[in-house]
Amino acid sequence: MDILNTFKISGSALQAQSLRLNTISSNLANVETTSTPEGGPYKKKSVYFQSTPINFQQHLNSELHRGLQGVEVTKIVEDPQPPRLVYNPSHVDANEQGYVAMPNISVLEEMVDMMSATRSYQANVTSIKMAKRMALKALEIGR
Amino acid sequence: MINGISGPGSGPLSSPNPTAATGATTPAQGFGESLQAMLRGVNETQLSGDQAIERLQSGSVQNLHEVMIAVEEAEVSLRMLVQLRNRAVTAYEEIMRMQI
Repeated sequence: MDILNTFKISGSALQAQSLRLNTISSNLANVETTSTPEGGPYKKKSVYFQSTPINFQQHLNSELHRGLQGVEVTKIVEDPQPPRLVYNPSHVDANEQGYVAMPNISVLEEMVDMMSATRSYQANVTSIKMAKRMALKALEIGR
Repeated sequence: MINGISGPGSGPLSSPNPTAATGATTPAQGFGESLQAMLRGVNETQLSGDQAIERLQSGSVQNLHEVMIAVEEAEVSLRMLVQLRNRAVTAYEEIMRMQI
């Protein structure tokens, strides 16, 4: 069925956006983290989206459907920006000059990113809903 | 269906049963088989929806949307099956009302 393709495409987007939301919440949770197992402060993570072909059912694998693509997160990259130095000599992780390397995360930016992720998720949920509504409308033909 | 109706007319009236049987069984079998295949498909989607819910409850699947999509697929295919059944019953009733 054709609507199942919509489900697949939008489902991949839902997966990608929820992973993005996870990344953002990881950033927000670690906004004050000064030490990590790898050493140094926490580094801001961001997702990297890539379009991916959806494997449709065989008989639908026509020229028309080949252009349709889903999305997936191929990697989570670390922000290369240097950490923010804050003067706090009493801190455990302070260096000899008394500066603490804090993660370079802007809470404001993360919040905006989070809203964007939520809206994208909602948009894809709406497209699934619409596909379902169209299918149910088609079933009303001849009722 | 047209074959089934024209079958008894073309044959001799004294033996309507064999012609009606041969004329009616082939399409009826085809429809029955396709209906059965579809029923099996719908049943599978229902089962996969159930399994998705089960996996979510047991914690082996983390994302909610995949489960919801599986359930929606099951619902849409079930509704399609119900519509097809309604059409089949309507056609049957139409034929049964026919004056011979």
